[in-house]
Amino acid sequence: MIESKNLNLYYGQYHALKNISLSMPAKTVTALIGPSGCGKSTFLRTLNRMNDLIPGVKIDGEVLIDGKNIYKDKMDIDLLRKKVGMVFQKANPFPKSIFENIAYGLRVNGVRDESFIKERVEKSLKQAALWGEVKDVLKKSALALSGGQQQRLCIARALAVEPQVLLMDEPASALDPISTSKIEELIHELKKDFTIAIVTHNMQQAARVSDYTAFFYLGELVELDETKTIFINPKKEQTQNYITGRFG
Amino acid sequence: MKTKKISEFIAFNIFRLLSLIIVLVLVAILSFIVVRGASVINWEFLTAMPEEGMTKGGIFPAIVGTICLVGGSMLFAFPLGVLSGIYMNEYMRATWFKRFMKLMTNNLAGVPSIVFGLFGMSLFVNTLGFGDSILAGSLTLGLLSLPVIIRTTEEALKSIDNTYREGSYALGATKLQTIRRVVLPMAYPNIITGFILSVGRVSGETAPILFTVAAYFLPKLPSGIFDQVMALPYHLYVITTSGTDVEASRGMAYGTALVLIMMVLVLNITATIVRKKLNKKLKVN
Amino acid sequence: MTHLEEELKALKKEVTIMFMLVHAQLAKANKALHELDKDLAHEILLTEKRVNAQELSIDRDCENFLALYNPVAVDLRYILAVLKINSNLERTGDIAEGIARFLLESENSFDKKLLEETRLTQMFDIAVKMMDDISEAFEQENTAMARSIFRQDVFLDEVNRAANKNIAAYILANPANSEQALHILSTIRKIERVGDQAKNIAEEIIFYIEAKVLKHSKKNA
Repeated sequence: MIESKNLNLYYGQYHALKNISLSMPAKTVTALIGPSGCGKSTFLRTLNRMNDLIPGVKIDGEVLIDGKNIYKDKMDIDLLRKKVGMVFQKANPFPKSIFENIAYGLRVNGVRDESFIKERVEKSLKQAALWGEVKDVLKKSALALSGGQQQRLCIARALAVEPQVLLMDEPASALDPISTSKIEELIHELKKDFTIAIVTHNMQQAARVSDYTAFFYLGELVELDETKTIFINPKKEQTQNYITGRFG
Repeated sequence: MKTKKISEFIAFNIFRLLSLIIVLVLVAILSFIVVRGASVINWEFLTAMPEEGMTKGGIFPAIVGTICLVGGSMLFAFPLGVLSGIYMNEYMRATWFKRFMKLMTNNLAGVPSIVFGLFGMSLFVNTLGFGDSILAGSLTLGLLSLPVIIRTTEEALKSIDNTYREGSYALGATKLQTIRRVVLPMAYPNIITGFILSVGRVSGETAPILFTVAAYFLPKLPSGIFDQVMALPYHLYVITTSGTDVEASRGMAYGTALVLIMMVLVLNITATIVRKKLNKKLKVN
Repeated sequence: MTHLEEELKALKKEVTIMFMLVHAQLAKANKALHELDKDLAHEILLTEKRVNAQELSIDRDCENFLALYNPVAVDLRYILAVLKINSNLERTGDIAEGIARFLLESENSFDKKLLEETRLTQMFDIAVKMMDDISEAFEQENTAMARSIFRQDVFLDEVNRAANKNIAAYILANPANSEQALHILSTIRKIERVGDQAKNIAEEIIFYIEAKVLKHSKKNA
């Protein structure tokens, strides 16, 4: 369960997120949609405090994950990021072997037990539906994989540290339709175990993979509802104009 | 349409001509030195001490001296330069201070090497009391190569896409872990290239060692870091301008030049090969 | 105007033509019934071919639009509504054709008294007006006008409910005209169905504009 309450974010003077309050139930997929620059990616990044890396960002309000405010001073950010995994728009496997890519999150979190790591690598690759394709080439460089495989590797890498939440920032926008549908299938499988938030520019994709859809515009949350409702009968005219392509 | 084709043709040929000229000049210089120097080079020339006022014998102590100086300077400058580069690119925030530091680093790279020589003399030789020594010379050469190493490190780090850093942070890695395990391995090829290129540059410098380490004539090998040594570039300078018998040592001079050029050439080729190999291993370009 | 909006506009024009054709069929059937104008009845049969062709063409346009534009929200509701309205109109056309066919078989013109007593004349006029109204409601996206259909349909239902009794009474009084009376009964049943089609169309219009599903709700029962 993820909940944000009156969340505001500023890039210097620019008010990028305006009073966002929403909640995402556990083990569901919530799609964040909206035109470029509407704040959907920024919002996604507040959920694992990725915006902390950008100088000049100021945040007020609360983000509760399992009831705990992650913007409290005492929050251990590295621990938070372990709990809230992230997959990026561009597949970014490290220039290491497939095995070491998956093991990375465990190693940086201090896991030394090699047999445990091995076990977890296999489990994550299976969860990401990649095991069958790579089980014989685990020593090979991850960069030798195809784009779609790389993205699934990145998902497996995120799963290896056993997060509860998975954030996906346009995970399929650089992939061909076949790879895209594999990722979408995967999301469908993963939501049994994880709470997923996905940013996408592809409206059909939002419609296909998500249970809830949130429409952002100019830093505000315009509408959040069941995906079915958003795509058949949105309540707000702005939402309708956006999803039917009559924008601006 | 036709004039477009003609101007295209002319432009292309001008470019071709210009690059051809550059290659020709390079070949001319090289062959000039190879032709004159090749006859001098033999095993004895490379391994013997200079004799009879440097008109006879070999250049062995100069080769050893240059190797000592290069090694010493890199021992000092490489870690310092790489760490500074990491600090400037990974840790410093984009403030006026960072811009100031960058400006200073760039300016440092433009300071004439003789100025480094003077500075090294006053600081290392006199103030710190190292005397004319390998230590003083190495530190001076190190200072000279610092800006280059810092700059190449910085550029190498900057060229690494931020998504890799974010990917690492997103897995709960700390900044240090991210730099050590993800960023540096990816930046290695270019950092190493910078390193080897500055080795090439340092091995050819004369001015910085002039007042800090180089011996005019010292037919013995150094026994410690506080000893003076001969060095190839300085030796070359000496025997062509102020030797006991400039005319008689002309052949030796070309031989020395050839050895020096070969060293730099080998280093540059190594740099290219190493970078290619590392890049291939990483499979990122 | 976006490409998508142009497509939608073109589709709307086709549906409007469909409305016009069916409305004309019904109006002609009304006139032909009263005057037993067999030429006019014949004309209805000919228009029916056009109506069927138009129905197929609109169906195809909808399929194409669905496949190529992946419409959502109001656009999706619109296309779904058009698909249903289209078949409702086609059925209305069939009804007009049915009336025309038996007019062609009839030899004598109908007893005016029969038409008056069963209130078919009035019923038919209202049915034609309903088609007119619903067509306008569609064109102007006017849900208030679409809702007026439900009110108008009440009369049609009433006439239909009373028809058995009225026809039975008429047959008792005029046994010689019993066949004619049975024809009229079946016509009344047909017109009642026209009312239902108009109601369905009204529901679809309200659905696509207001996204409310009226079907099977108590409101218009």
